[in-house]
Amino acid sequence: MSDNLEHSFVKQLRENQNIIHKICRLYTNDDDAHKDLFQEITIQLWKAFPKFRGDSKFSTWAYRVALNTAITLYRKTKRSINTVEFEGRQHFLNDVEYDYEEEEQLKLMYQAVYQLNDIEKALIFMYLEDKDYHEISETLGISEVNARVKMNRIKGKLKKILNPLGI
Amino acid sequence: MKELDLLKKDWQKIDNSFVQVSETEIYKMIHKKSSSIVKWIFIISILEFIVLNSLSYLMPNEKISDSTIVELVISILDYFSYGVALFFMYLFYRNYRSISVTSNTKKLMECILNTRKTVRYYIIFNILLVFVMSIVVFFNEFQIEYANNNGAKMIFICLLMLFFIALIIGVVWLFYQLIYGILLKKLNRNYVELKKIDL
Repeated sequence: MSDNLEHSFVKQLRENQNIIHKICRLYTNDDDAHKDLFQEITIQLWKAFPKFRGDSKFSTWAYRVALNTAITLYRKTKRSINTVEFEGRQHFLNDVEYDYEEEEQLKLMYQAVYQLNDIEKALIFMYLEDKDYHEISETLGISEVNARVKMNRIKGKLKKILNPLGI
Repeated sequence: MKELDLLKKDWQKIDNSFVQVSETEIYKMIHKKSSSIVKWIFIISILEFIVLNSLSYLMPNEKISDSTIVELVISILDYFSYGVALFFMYLFYRNYRSISVTSNTKKLMECILNTRKTVRYYIIFNILLVFVMSIVVFFNEFQIEYANNNGAKMIFICLLMLFFIALIIGVVWLFYQLIYGILLKKLNRNYVELKKIDL
């Protein structure tokens, strides 16, 4: 493949890498696994890049490939439930008004999301990324109505994880 | 859901927390080898085609029977199996080519599972073929031995051979299930999960 293509890919990927980092954060529990999945997604994106015609945004195209890699192509499975993930990001929360209660809620919420299965995580990911139900249904290959129903069920499930007794 | 709104707000700010990968690192990454299941499925499937096709060359090539009808049946089955092998390889190639990481998730999973199914059907076809060929040969031998009053001995040998064939097929099958069980466990689980949404 030509150097130009390679250069254009590397540049666009560097600019859009946070999409991949976010998916890695959802689907892995430690730094090594994060790097490993990041690499596999990068390889898959590069392999598919010659067919990328630019009729959609690089980021939109990358979402699909990255999610597909995490859910379907990536072989390694998680080893343990994540609990340390949250530590690394506290520094930037210090900038704004520090709210311990909010912090605690967020921590529990992240832990609850980690307990979801791969497909549920994909839905939550796209929801957090502000994707509409049309795009969610197109990406996963399910109907729009059912994507909506499933999302409501996931919300219910998260609620249950956060508050198992329903008080 | 209040907590989910909180999470969404935090998620938008999360970008600052990732260690950024440099262009040099990305260059290095794209020259590394993929470890995706599709690559493994491709390698294992090609091996299966090679092994199954070379098995017939390992078999003793001497004349199986004096009966021309049996010889004819065996050679027809032989040619038939080559045709079928070519057909399966074409199907496998077509299915493999249809695997695209840019398809939607459900379609991608179906394409991978279909590629696997092609090879599985090819294996089942081969097992059936061996079974049919064995019956033809055994039946022929049995007739000859029966004429020589060795019927009981022949039945015993037949049963013994059937037992060993079943044993070998059983062991291979278990091994096979194990490889694909490990390889496709996650995919199968996620596929079932995805299909449940549209039920």
